[in-house]
Amino acid sequence: MNLSVVSESLATDTVSLPPLQARDLTVAYDARPVLRSVSFELEKGHMLGVVGPNGAGKSTMLKALLGLIAPDYGGVRVFGQPVDDVRDRIAYVPQTETVDWDFPVTVAEVVLMGRQPSKGWFGRPTHEDRRLAAEALDRVGMTAFAKRHIRQLSGGQQRRVFLARALCQGADLLLLDEPFAGVDAATEKAIFALIDQMADEGRSLLIVNHDLSILGRFDRVMLLNQRVIAFGAPDDVVTEENLRATYGGRLSLLDEADLTLAQRRNERDHLARTASE
Amino acid sequence: MSVTTLLAQLQSEWSQWLLPWDALYLKGTLCSILVGLGCGLLGCFVVLRRMALIGDALSHAVLPGVVLAYMVTGDTQPVPLLIGALVSGLVAAVLINLTTRHSRTKEDSSIGIVFTALFALGIVLVSNLPRGTHFDLKCFLWGEPLAVGRSDLTMMAIICGGVLLVVALLYHRLKLVSFDPLVAAAMGISVGAMHYLLMGMLSATVVAGLKTTGVILVVAMVITPASAAYQLTNRFSVMLLLAGVFGMLSAVVGMSVAFVFNASTGPAMVIVATAIFGLSVMLSPSHGLVFDRLRRVRLARHVRGEDVLKAVYRHGPLSSAPEGYLPTLIETLKMPVKQITRTLDRLRREGLVTPSAEALAVTDAGRHHAEQIVRTHRLWETYLAERMGVDPDEVHVEAERLEHAHDLAERLDEVLGRPETDPHGSAIPRS
Repeated sequence: MNLSVVSESLATDTVSLPPLQARDLTVAYDARPVLRSVSFELEKGHMLGVVGPNGAGKSTMLKALLGLIAPDYGGVRVFGQPVDDVRDRIAYVPQTETVDWDFPVTVAEVVLMGRQPSKGWFGRPTHEDRRLAAEALDRVGMTAFAKRHIRQLSGGQQRRVFLARALCQGADLLLLDEPFAGVDAATEKAIFALIDQMADEGRSLLIVNHDLSILGRFDRVMLLNQRVIAFGAPDDVVTEENLRATYGGRLSLLDEADLTLAQRRNERDHLARTASE
Repeated sequence: MSVTTLLAQLQSEWSQWLLPWDALYLKGTLCSILVGLGCGLLGCFVVLRRMALIGDALSHAVLPGVVLAYMVTGDTQPVPLLIGALVSGLVAAVLINLTTRHSRTKEDSSIGIVFTALFALGIVLVSNLPRGTHFDLKCFLWGEPLAVGRSDLTMMAIICGGVLLVVALLYHRLKLVSFDPLVAAAMGISVGAMHYLLMGMLSATVVAGLKTTGVILVVAMVITPASAAYQLTNRFSVMLLLAGVFGMLSAVVGMSVAFVFNASTGPAMVIVATAIFGLSVMLSPSHGLVFDRLRRVRLARHVRGEDVLKAVYRHGPLSSAPEGYLPTLIETLKMPVKQITRTLDRLRREGLVTPSAEALAVTDAGRHHAEQIVRTHRLWETYLAERMGVDPDEVHVEAERLEHAHDLAERLDEVLGRPETDPHGSAIPRS
């Protein structure tokens, strides 16, 4: 593939290479395609929100991007390189249901696990690792819970702990699977503040998401239903027509209400911005 | 067997308890202890990763490998048998994986199909061994510590040492892979390699320990001590430690029990391990039955004390003689006389009610406490009526229950905007 030649010649200049690049990504389970020819590019410091109905292949896409499942066709480049070569620059925040919250570990221990990849096989956490973990816990506002057992956390707190673990990996590219599912308004605000901050620091984020009302807050939005229905700035992409194409008329009244409100808010924000300029 | 003969047996055959330490059985005993330790440690991973069925499968699936190794070498030297067993175990793991992936069969069914098939194949092989050879199937199934030789013990010691070393060195990595395999894989850690490493260590330990517990029950030595440890702690390191100790304890005590009751050693060890598990379920500090019961009893006592105090506060002072105050209290509290007198005694000791020589009334401390209860009661009534839309006529019963949670009174007061009166118009006392 030409891409690899290009990436080698540019290897020294990693700054200009996009943090995440998918080309014709196609995944099928039992010959039933779940992801068809997905191509997109995530720019440095951008937040990309991915939405689509259940079964649209959002989680499958995340796994394919992370190299956890092999695509049937197409490929992924992270900072211009194969995923396996740059895993230390990627952090993955899965849905909280994927782990057993009865597992005998404390909050601090879970966060400290984020330092594990930087160690070898026999690596033990150092003083520096513990400091980074404590710092990450502090950034998500969970310091008071450090010594608690993870069973004692609420859903929102679990998500924050996962975010802290990703933070302390020190990654430049973060892939988040539904970080806002089932959290209260205050937690959603706190999580958004945190990921805004990360984007400001020059990190790039891909956020799989269910809530249509917050799409306006992302730099880029992808509407996904097996294939990419639309990709671009939220104002251009989030239209009723596109959403109908994505959700296939399965858009509930509630979603439509959310959408109308969000559009109005976007317009208002836009007006406010132009007015202030 | 009646209780008296049982006791007599326990007493007269005291020396039986020490029989496992006799030179004749010492090797078997030591080997069992090492099995307990190794299985206990590895059991923590099996239990937390929900692979109990895999543990059972592995121990059964090794049979054909062991028999084939025996057929080839014509000998029961432990090393070839171990190799045969490991190959067999690995084949089982791969077959389970393949069956799950390439058919509609779910994993638990695949495990069931593969391990019973391999076990059955092993049994068929045993029945077809050439005449004159002696393969002790019973020993394989139920364990026979007398059969443990020096080479068995040496091999077990090496395997157990290896397990300890690997778990200690890879502790953090194993913890991560067990807790969150998905993220571990995304971090580039080879989850598959860790899985097969654990499976390999488990098969080795199980096979080396077959002569002590036998193939049928060895899975209990893997799951039961680890599950007992899981009840008692929230720390992974402590769980590993406890599981190891419980495993060794089950082995030692189990051996003695086997001699005293003239039973097979494997089943005896399993029964001891299960007893430890039962105890840990009852004694677990966070969700154990004993502590739970204790908390309930304490709460009931607390509630009774406050109810009696409130009655004395409301109706006092009453005559000092029991005949004088008891009818009133029984009428209000609907409590047995004995409970009332006992609770009054306690309240007197705590200085909330006047001493028995004087007229029955609350002391200053008692009044303060009673007013707190009344305050909480009325705040709850207000909350239920105003915020939860409960009919004011019905709030009393619920408030009667909630009034004992007065830690919440201050917050309740704040939330309600410090109301003056309750829904019935009674004043809410200020604290």
